[in-house]
Amino acid sequence: MEVTEFGKIKRAKPKHRAEVSMQTGFPSPATHYLERTIDLSEVLVKNKEATFFVRIGGSAWEDLGILKNDVLIIDRSLEFVRGKIALVVKDGAFEVMKFPASEEKEKMDSEAFELWGVITYVIHSL
Amino acid sequence: MGRNYLCDTFVMIALIDCNSFYASCEQVFRPDLQGKPVVVLSNNDGCVIAANSEAKALSHIPMFEPVFKIKDQLIKNGVTFFSSNYTLYGEMSDRVMRILEEFSPLVEIYSIDESFIDLTGMQHQDLRAYGIAIKERIQRYTGLPVGVGIAPTKVLAKLANRRAKKEAGNDHVFVIDSEEKRLDTLHWAKIKDVWGIGKKHAQRIQETGRNSAFDFTQLPLSWVRKHMTVVGERTWRELQGENCLPLERAPKPKKAIGTAKSFGKKLEKLALIEEACSYYINEVSEVLRNQNCCANYLQIFLQTNYHSERDKQYHKSITVTLEVPTNNTFILNAEGKKALHKIFKPGYRYKKVGVCLSGIVPKEYVQTNLFATTDEKIGLMEAFDRINQKFGKTTLAPALMDARKVKQWELIKNERSPRYTTQWEELLCVV
Repeated sequence: MEVTEFGKIKRAKPKHRAEVSMQTGFPSPATHYLERTIDLSEVLVKNKEATFFVRIGGSAWEDLGILKNDVLIIDRSLEFVRGKIALVVKDGAFEVMKFPASEEKEKMDSEAFELWGVITYVIHSL
Repeated sequence: MGRNYLCDTFVMIALIDCNSFYASCEQVFRPDLQGKPVVVLSNNDGCVIAANSEAKALSHIPMFEPVFKIKDQLIKNGVTFFSSNYTLYGEMSDRVMRILEEFSPLVEIYSIDESFIDLTGMQHQDLRAYGIAIKERIQRYTGLPVGVGIAPTKVLAKLANRRAKKEAGNDHVFVIDSEEKRLDTLHWAKIKDVWGIGKKHAQRIQETGRNSAFDFTQLPLSWVRKHMTVVGERTWRELQGENCLPLERAPKPKKAIGTAKSFGKKLEKLALIEEACSYYINEVSEVLRNQNCCANYLQIFLQTNYHSERDKQYHKSITVTLEVPTNNTFILNAEGKKALHKIFKPGYRYKKVGVCLSGIVPKEYVQTNLFATTDEKIGLMEAFDRINQKFGKTTLAPALMDARKVKQWELIKNERSPRYTTQWEELLCVV
């Protein structure tokens, strides 16, 4: 019996081509240790829905370490407690305020203010 | 069988809406305006589109009149007015919707300032306390005041929301969780207050001496069906506590997408109108691509200012049937330009050009045309959108649009507030 050969199936091209680099060496020793690069907005903004950025246009709060042109990161979800600095509203105007020490507490109660949001970080450009 | 909806079904729906949303957004960043009248103007500052309660209280000012007629009155009464800042309102709205997702796995965004959320299975909890928690969290996180209505159906939730706001003792939260409260609310509400009942129907029913929503539910269903179609029937049933309008997770694909804004000043030159038209086509085709859809028809219309008595008047519209449904900005632009040339007549001072895409079909269902020569570059529009997302709107644009030039046709936004939440250069500045 005669077997006719209808053209051989051609082999696919060899996979190694000069223009395509193939990794053949030692695999990266870091493979199992890979972590994501730090993302500042993830670190500095814990609650996206409640976070606002506010620029400071004056020098009134330098004693609190907040200088002109700084940008405040404000998290409105946080409680205003001892040690915190917040953006508040007094008489319809914004103001930066540190939570007062206990002896000043009475004074604070007498001064009406409305909390706008607690400042979590200050971005300061050099 | 008696209908005790609290046993039959465990569905509970909350409707949350922001109180005078646009004005409230402005006031968050302007504490000096707390308690003062604020209005927001339409595109081109033509008329008032939103007013807070303080502004609404100035009932002697006809707010529906064009702004140029009432401007002096507004100023005299200490009303602060803003051009619409949709970038800000949209971003604030997103915040509210994301907060709502913390309260329910199913949120239906109904409009920029209104959402239904599913509270099914929570009827044994203190729903009023839950409503207050929702209200307080939104207020605290975003500064926006909201009202919450909770009930077993959407139409009842709407009424509950209305009652939450209108009755002072409710503290902006109202829950319909018993047959008693349902009936009480139906007696309280007027027919015209019911969601889905139009003015004409309300009037007609009232003429027969029926006034309250309760009276409406006492009408025989056959009458309602006959005179108010299936829409009225659904409303009627929903008021009885029967669920006919389920919550929808994804927005329905739109039937048509369009945009038409007045020019900042009257235009006579074709080239400038082309540019504006191209800009709008770019906008709407992007919306189309976001929805993974294609359009069959492209409509372009052009008009002069019909308020003006000294200008010659002309308006014309043209609809192009596209060879193959598409969402490709470049194809639409080419077609749009051709169409615009057909309707443009020199010698008029044009006020507005509009673009509308219709016959919208999902991309997968696009019927190809045997005779069409499709030469669509696959991936081109995708790359185009990605670059614009990354580097800002209109980084890439069709040449016709001429993105770099000062747009002579662009809207006038005299009193627009800064885009506090989306632009680093426009942050709220505290001095």
